[in-house]
Amino acid sequence: MDYVLTVNAISKSYKRFQALKNLSMHVPKGAVYGFVGKNGSGKTTLIRLICGLQTPTSGSYALYGTENTEESIQTVRKRIGAVVETPSIYLHMTAEENLKEQYRILGLPSFDGIGEILKLAGLDNTGKKKAKHFSLGMRQRLGIAIALCGNPDFLILDEPANGLDPQGIVEIRELILKLNKERQITFLISSHILDELSRLATHYGFIDNGHIVKEISAADLDRTCRKCLCLEVSDIRAFALAADQMGLEYHILSDTQAEIFSKITITKLILPLSEKGCEVLSIHEREESLESYYMSLIGGKTHE
Amino acid sequence: MNKLLSANFSRLKKDISFRIGILYMFAIGIIVPLSNFITMKKYGYTISLESGFCLYAFFMAILSSVFCSLFIGTEYNDGTMRNKLIAGHSRTAVYFSFLIVSIAAIFLMCLAYLISSLCTGIPLLGFFSDAAFPIVLGHIGTIFILAVAFTSICTAAAMLCQNKAATATVCILGVFIFLFFGAYIRARLEEPEYDQAYYFETEETSEAESAPPTPNPWYVSGTKRQVYEFLHDFLPGNQAMQLCTLSADNLWKMSFYSILIAAVVTGTGIYVFYRENIN
Repeated sequence: MDYVLTVNAISKSYKRFQALKNLSMHVPKGAVYGFVGKNGSGKTTLIRLICGLQTPTSGSYALYGTENTEESIQTVRKRIGAVVETPSIYLHMTAEENLKEQYRILGLPSFDGIGEILKLAGLDNTGKKKAKHFSLGMRQRLGIAIALCGNPDFLILDEPANGLDPQGIVEIRELILKLNKERQITFLISSHILDELSRLATHYGFIDNGHIVKEISAADLDRTCRKCLCLEVSDIRAFALAADQMGLEYHILSDTQAEIFSKITITKLILPLSEKGCEVLSIHEREESLESYYMSLIGGKTHE
Repeated sequence: MNKLLSANFSRLKKDISFRIGILYMFAIGIIVPLSNFITMKKYGYTISLESGFCLYAFFMAILSSVFCSLFIGTEYNDGTMRNKLIAGHSRTAVYFSFLIVSIAAIFLMCLAYLISSLCTGIPLLGFFSDAAFPIVLGHIGTIFILAVAFTSICTAAAMLCQNKAATATVCILGVFIFLFFGAYIRARLEEPEYDQAYYFETEETSEAESAPPTPNPWYVSGTKRQVYEFLHDFLPGNQAMQLCTLSADNLWKMSFYSILIAAVVTGTGIYVFYRENIN
């Protein structure tokens, strides 16, 4: 798999406080990587390191295969855009002036793409309105618009939905999905709004206390969190035979445990098992949301 | 770095603190010769153009602290410093781009003063006297070099402190401390070694008698005097005090010190900025 970003055992300390502890993570190309963790878990610190705003105390990271210790990392950084914490915009300038300033910083030869970026971010009608008079959502979108200057193929967004009203959240979500689908931009999005993230992310990284607890794809997470019947049986072979005959979708966990994902009544399940001499020792229904999965991870439950 | 310079100069053109600085210096350039002209007319004696002409050294110092703290502080306040670093510019390039733009801005403010002062002063007071002209030219050149030193110090403070309000406080207070210290050292160095002899008449004889001069306790002598004299030429605040009264004797030495200060402060500033954690 091609990775846009690979982080290898990175640590960051501020005097006596260790913000990141041997953190490793992998962001695949084309993914919307949801970086989940509670406040103070180290999300923004890692983003600052990746953006070159701070340097790691130990460990390393690679952007498009280029290590952070190599000189060419400065050139590779031109391929990324980022909004770290708050949108980085000149408040006394209009949206267009802000983009022109960013074009100059990037050394782009003309201002040709500005209109398109403004339209994409939904800011094409802001005219001479200064950024200081923008709503929080507009500022956030302007921050993303600035990050889009120079056609980056990796965007890092730190808490993009923070402080936004429901409409603002929807606007940002739609913009991210559009950019991911139409421009194949890879996203790293840090957030603690799990419900919102679950509508976007194709991959997840769960961070707690400065290290990654779990990295998982959205498909695997869906599988893990699927509603199912968990059974403990006396004969797993008999169970498999009966389940196959009934055409059930199931997953065997051990010699005595299995999960059934198909919808079935308990009576219809137990009778054929009983006929094959297989006793059902226990049965319970399980359904996990991203939130409960996250809580169980942070709480220490293993999902390896 | 050209990209950063282009971006920063473009921002400078619209910067409100820069515009106010230019207007302020332009206004001072009109006020100084005009007030000299009014005084000349009122009391009937001649005041030449060079009198008070280099006062802008004092205002330059204050404006450099205000401008640098606001112009560079905005980068941290609005978070736009991050855009420059994320775009892949080296920290050295970012630092130098701000230093160059700040120096250019202060030079332009000084030029605004010189233009308005000459345009107002020459018609009202006439041109510089032949004897004063080379001295004034020397002082103007040294003030520009001093501007580099002041701007380097204020740029370093603004680049290393990520809080705009704190930067403004540190820079402005710092410059005033420099200037007050300059005034203090100057006053101590100008103290006479002896109090002047004075004459008095006694009632009995009605004859004038004199008292011998007494040593002045405020007079600075020996090694302490050498240190004070060195500081008087070395420190930017002291240089400003000498230059604004057209009384500097060691212009070459002062220029060398200014360049040395600018180089050391900038080198240290880049070294620390390179290791700074940007939020």
